[in-house]
Amino acid sequence: MTNQPAAVGTSARRHDAAAKVTGGALYTADVRLPGMLHAKVLRSPHAHARLRSVDATRARALAGVHAVLTRDELAGLSPTYGYFIKDQPVVAMDKVRYVGDVVAAVAAEDEATALRALELIDVVYEPLPDVPDVTAALAEDAPELFEEAPPGIVPPYGTGASGHLRPRRNVCYEFRYATGPADVWQECDHVFEDTFAFSRMNHFHLEPFVTVADVRGEQIEIWSSTQNPFPLRKELARVLRVGENRIRVHVPYVGGGFGAKHNCKTEPIAILLSRMAGRPVRYCLTTEEGFLTLSQHAAVLKVKTGVKADGTFVARESEVLLDAGAYSDGSPLVAEKAAYRMPGPYRWTHVKSSCACVMTTTTPAGPFRGFGATQSTWAGESQVDMIARRLGMDPYELRIKNLKRLGEPFVPGESGIDSDLAEGLDTVAGELGYHRRARTPNRGMGLAIGFKDGGGVNKPAQARVKVTANGAVYVNSGTVEIGQGASTTLCQVAAEVLGVPLEQVAYAPINTDVTPFDQGTNASSGMTVMGRAVLRAAEAVRAQVLEFAARQLGCEATALTLENWAVRRGDEAPTPLPGLIMKVFGGTGYEFSGEGFFKAPNSPEAPLDAPCVFWEIGWAGAEVEVDPDTGKVTVLQLVASGDVGKAINKLVCRGQDEGAAVMGLGQALFEEMRYDGSALLNGEALDYRVPMAEDLPERFVSVTQEQGHGPGPFGAKGAGEGAMVPVAAAIANAVHDATGVRVTALPLSPERVFNALHRR
Amino acid sequence: MSSRVSIDFEVDGVRRSEEIAPNTVLLDLLRDRHALTGVKASCERGVCGACTILVDGTPAASCGVFAFSVDGAAVETIDGQGREGGLGPVQRAFAECGGFQCGYCTPGMVMLTTALLRAHPEPDDERIRSWISSNVCRCTGYQMIVDSVRRAAELSREEQP
Ligand code: FES
Ligand code: FES
Repeated sequence: MTNQPAAVGTSARRHDAAAKVTGGALYTADVRLPGMLHAKVLRSPHAHARLRSVDATRARALAGVHAVLTRDELAGLSPTYGYFIKDQPVVAMDKVRYVGDVVAAVAAEDEATALRALELIDVVYEPLPDVPDVTAALAEDAPELFEEAPPGIVPPYGTGASGHLRPRRNVCYEFRYATGPADVWQECDHVFEDTFAFSRMNHFHLEPFVTVADVRGEQIEIWSSTQNPFPLRKELARVLRVGENRIRVHVPYVGGGFGAKHNCKTEPIAILLSRMAGRPVRYCLTTEEGFLTLSQHAAVLKVKTGVKADGTFVARESEVLLDAGAYSDGSPLVAEKAAYRMPGPYRWTHVKSSCACVMTTTTPAGPFRGFGATQSTWAGESQVDMIARRLGMDPYELRIKNLKRLGEPFVPGESGIDSDLAEGLDTVAGELGYHRRARTPNRGMGLAIGFKDGGGVNKPAQARVKVTANGAVYVNSGTVEIGQGASTTLCQVAAEVLGVPLEQVAYAPINTDVTPFDQGTNASSGMTVMGRAVLRAAEAVRAQVLEFAARQLGCEATALTLENWAVRRGDEAPTPLPGLIMKVFGGTGYEFSGEGFFKAPNSPEAPLDAPCVFWEIGWAGAEVEVDPDTGKVTVLQLVASGDVGKAINKLVCRGQDEGAAVMGLGQALFEEMRYDGSALLNGEALDYRVPMAEDLPERFVSVTQEQGHGPGPFGAKGAGEGAMVPVAAAIANAVHDATGVRVTALPLSPERVFNALHRR
Repeated sequence: MSSRVSIDFEVDGVRRSEEIAPNTVLLDLLRDRHALTGVKASCERGVCGACTILVDGTPAASCGVFAFSVDGAAVETIDGQGREGGLGPVQRAFAECGGFQCGYCTPGMVMLTTALLRAHPEPDDERIRSWISSNVCRCTGYQMIVDSVRRAAELSREEQP
């Protein structure tokens, strides 16, 4: 490292700035290929029905139609996909399981022709009873969504944790975890049992789900708006029964994902239609179809907490039911996390958690920013305040009393907490003015701490850094630039190690044929997992360069430092590298190339098979005013804070926290996919309200903490999810403070708050 | 659909005469025929504002405008916002203040800001919030966009002789 760190810790302009502010940035939605066709799909109008017949004869005959895909074209494929459980068909086979389930697909000269062709597909359905929510799905006599078990796996777990496929009717997966002696319940002076409801949001990424596929001979090439090109490639290869090296995935800029853009979405249909038509096919969903493709998990959370008279936490037992929708998608993983994170940031003697994924006839639910932690924190942090009030304590004091210390393991076998939790809480409480708050009727303040393991489970990342003879650097990694700023911050890491100005480092585009392997852009893992791979790759290149220069200069590599693409020995004048390199390798130049790899080691003691990479903590504080006549909650102040360990780029970190906090604000106050039975009522942009600038609280403050305990490069931790997780609970806690009334269901709509106030 | 209409309009200062189907939407005309993919398509329901352009200086969602209706009008898109050799003042402000993340809302936000600053060269935060409330940004939480607009006002004033 050079003496003056130049590249990290700045507010450097992002690498993607010029492309994005000029409209020059290319997204998958902008990709156009010569001869490209357009795909549209026929969706089920029924929530649950058996497919009697699907006849596309008339559609195939329409002028301008080049290919029609129905269940009859699936021969020779493994036609279902999913994460742990392969239950979602490319197009419906025996049944449809929600309104919007895909029945058939058409590729035509243009979208209008494709839409006309869909009207010519004759489908006979035999409607079956639906199961619109978890209660209906768990009823004794509920109809089964899957009569036969789809293929599924349970991953290896360590001490105290277990996973179970189909433990009961309409439950595709259940995760359980327990630690510590269960007999401590007898030592508790109080036991509190509360139930919470969590509503589901849509991701509402502005770039729709979209894939352009071009199948030529045996080569399958796609451009896709995806967060995890490598696992996607693997899953596509399995579905299509081809080698992974026959599939090339390009990932242009991605216009937002928030968890939605993992694994198979638009890809299988685009590929199959292109293969049938012999032409490139673009398959782009509308926003309305996005609502029918994936959502967050609605949940019912039962929490039982035992405490001593002085407020010491003793035991917490919880049962979570996630509404997984019609197909499993990422639900088993979300269940794992929702249960595992239920203890929150506190010290317990006994913990027992379970989380079941319940199948319903609604939009499939999957990964969403926060990934189960938003659900568990909503329940856990609401209940902490309820308990404090029941004990006559200040919720702040109760938290401080029970928070884990820096370095204390989360549970046995886990890594230590890498933030000073009390310091973070004090930061937010101070910024909010929590301790100085005046008692004004209908006004109140609340705090909450969002808690999740970050960096993914068992997640390997590889990176390559290469440098030309003239000192131009490339960072090659599979981390997708989805808005989070990774294409800048990863380059900052390489620039720092190589002692070159940031402008000299480029982030290479992703192409799975040449980009080093990565498991996905998720779990806030960009800096703590991929960042370490990039750091090592850059260090490997630096070592090569220094050894090369040392040989040329006849000294030890350790005697040299690297700065501005020159080597310096002690106080001597620096020797520029380009001349030195070309002297040996010729005037056409050369590239140094280094590889880096990182993965947290496995450990059988760790409940999830590998200790957590870092702990992503989000602290939030809110001040609200509640109108007793209408139930309307006005957020006067929102303070959100994450601990990034060390900010590689301050602008990027701030952006992550603020964006996350405002998503939490929408979740808290109004954002919700509303169903009437199995029918989605507000599945389009106008009726589904996302936060707008006018919804910002009068005072909105984000604080980027740099506590310095992170495992990533230069002490960094991850960011991106933490600041969303505690917001809903902080606001509900503030409403409680303001009114003395607890609302246990989200969102905190005027109607719900009004009803709670008047039930008093 | 066989009938065609001819329109004559300006796109980013360049005059265009063309034949179009009467049901052509301006967004599609710009993206598909003029390859102006900087004009983003998202909800295509006139809600999100990703497709914002200016028609005779007024912001409009191009997904909700029939192409025939801009006959005789001057259309401005993100493509015309640069300056000789680089970024325009609004673009520079967004780049400098980090008023974007995924960037999908950014061209629309830049156009909205351009119109705002022409109408109100020194907007206060309340006016900024109220103007940008016509477009959705799912990534930033808006505060850094507000900062960008404030900075854009400064840079635009500096640009005036
Ligand atoms: S795409 Fe035009 S307003 Fe959303
Ligand atoms: S930057 Fe992603 S929507 Fe605004």
